[in-house]
Amino acid sequence: MDDTNYITMELTVNGRRVSKHCRSGRRLIDFLRDDLNLMGVKEGCGEGECGSCTVLLDGKAVLSCLTPMEKAIGHEVITIEGIGSANRLHPLQEAIIEEGGIQCGFCTPGMIMSGVELLARNPHPDRAEIIAAISGNLCRCTGYQKIVRSIEQAAQKMSSS
Amino acid sequence: MSEFQKTISQAVRISQSTGPVGQSVVREDAVVKATGRAVYAADITRPDMLYGKVLLSTEAHALIKNIDTSAAKNIPGVHAVLTARDIPGENVYGIAVADQQVLAEKKVRFFGEPVALVAAETPEIAEAALKEIKVAYEPLEGVFNPIDALKEGAPKVHEAGNLLLHTRVRKGDYRIGFEQADVIVENLFRTHGQDHSPLEPESGVAWFDGDGILNIYSSSQYIFRDRKQVGRVLNIPINRIHSVNTTVGGGFGRKDDVTVEILVSLLAWATQKPVKLVYTRHESMLTQTHRHPTIVRIRSGATASGKLTALEAVVYGDTGAYASLGIYVIKKMALHIGGPYYYPHYKADSFSVYTNNPIAGAFRGFGILQAATVHEVQMDELARRLGMDPIEFRLQNCLREGLTFSTGQVMDQACGIAATLEELREYVKRHGLQFKKHPEHQEVER
Repeated sequence: MDDTNYITMELTVNGRRVSKHCRSGRRLIDFLRDDLNLMGVKEGCGEGECGSCTVLLDGKAVLSCLTPMEKAIGHEVITIEGIGSANRLHPLQEAIIEEGGIQCGFCTPGMIMSGVELLARNPHPDRAEIIAAISGNLCRCTGYQKIVRSIEQAAQKMSSS
Repeated sequence: MSEFQKTISQAVRISQSTGPVGQSVVREDAVVKATGRAVYAADITRPDMLYGKVLLSTEAHALIKNIDTSAAKNIPGVHAVLTARDIPGENVYGIAVADQQVLAEKKVRFFGEPVALVAAETPEIAEAALKEIKVAYEPLEGVFNPIDALKEGAPKVHEAGNLLLHTRVRKGDYRIGFEQADVIVENLFRTHGQDHSPLEPESGVAWFDGDGILNIYSSSQYIFRDRKQVGRVLNIPINRIHSVNTTVGGGFGRKDDVTVEILVSLLAWATQKPVKLVYTRHESMLTQTHRHPTIVRIRSGATASGKLTALEAVVYGDTGAYASLGIYVIKKMALHIGGPYYYPHYKADSFSVYTNNPIAGAFRGFGILQAATVHEVQMDELARRLGMDPIEFRLQNCLREGLTFSTGQVMDQACGIAATLEELREYVKRHGLQFKKHPEHQEVER
């Protein structure tokens, strides 16, 4: 099996320059999870249906299970780990905790990434815009209402701060 | 302290002083989940860890004539290829009835049944090895409908026959009840199967410690039962199995029975290395349990004044190739097919039946959803035929303290259906809502 090819991945991940010699030809999610240990990136379906693996590539929400890892070379990737930590939460992370928009938590990182992208390009989204922004993120627990309210609340927090 | 942290610490204080009931309390694990730090089974890695894959049957019902694993074993990076023959203990499991083979031995009973296991140094090598395992099948006629499966001469899913359990519930005399009825509604229902689709597919990591303790970290709803089932197959006592429940990314009943625990433990035992096994969504849908598809024939009778008199129902539940929790799910349907309503005369039969379909097991509601579909349509249709308001008709017939359930159990506590209906009636008024008129039902085959 020594036909494995290697590549040097040079890119910015969560604000840090990364240079990693690793196996090529894999998906961006594999590189982030297996090589960088960013386990907040979740794989729910592996075929672009569920949105759990959503990350930001140059600020745009992409599905890391459908993105070849090589596409990220020279670009900037942000995962849930780059959004906020327990001591310094992003307003959307605060809001989703307060509103009870988290149950099993598996969709949560991807859901937050889609919400963060929305709020960055549209600080005052209406309900329809919020629903459209998270329409690619499936959740089997919450019924979505509390997640939608979290994004509304985050928009308020961000405009008042 | 930020406003947010104040909210959280306040919430914790409230719950400590008065208990969480009646309080809005922040989930204990919400912060780790919101920051992507919660550890699910697939997030665990161990030094020198291998990756497991499962070869799933490509036949719904077939004899296994031969399994050739030699080519797969010769691939560099492959550490183990296992079939039923390699199992050190009993090749059997099942949460309620031990009727399921861990790896198919002489025949496969559904499309997606595990046939062989691989452990390799990368997921790609494991995948390549699966393709090199050659299984020779001799296809058998299958049966894919519970009514067909009960017919004489139907293909046998299991040697002992296709009937897993027949549940009879009798109260009063249904013939008398139907004689008293002025209106009788009779229908045939079919409810479909459903996949739980927890966002996290079934996953686990297993390894043996230096002192021979088997560690299993998995996404499970019931680690204590898992431990028992693993021990039987690996032939090790349960006090040498350390089962740990990781954060669970949704279960809904899907992870009530064993999922990957036995398979990943077998690979850890065979290789003496840590092994991770994570199902893809595709594999998960094929090989794991689902909601029971059901077929229900039902008659319900009421007097012209709107009093229920009798119910007669037959339920066929398609439990698929193995029982899982299908024995209890379909048993419950016989009890609950009348819903939370009082019938003086009640006759229900339910049949939990093996077929060559995917396995059905526990799923939120546990048979009650299928029953509710049936009894609520029956109640609406009776109300419509009687010219009564659907809520009033339900209030007139709902279970109350002192009345008996289908089994004869006297309702003596926590019987909240009347209060719920009254609240619903108020809600409908308050919001100026109206019930949608049902279109006339089309005649269906009887």
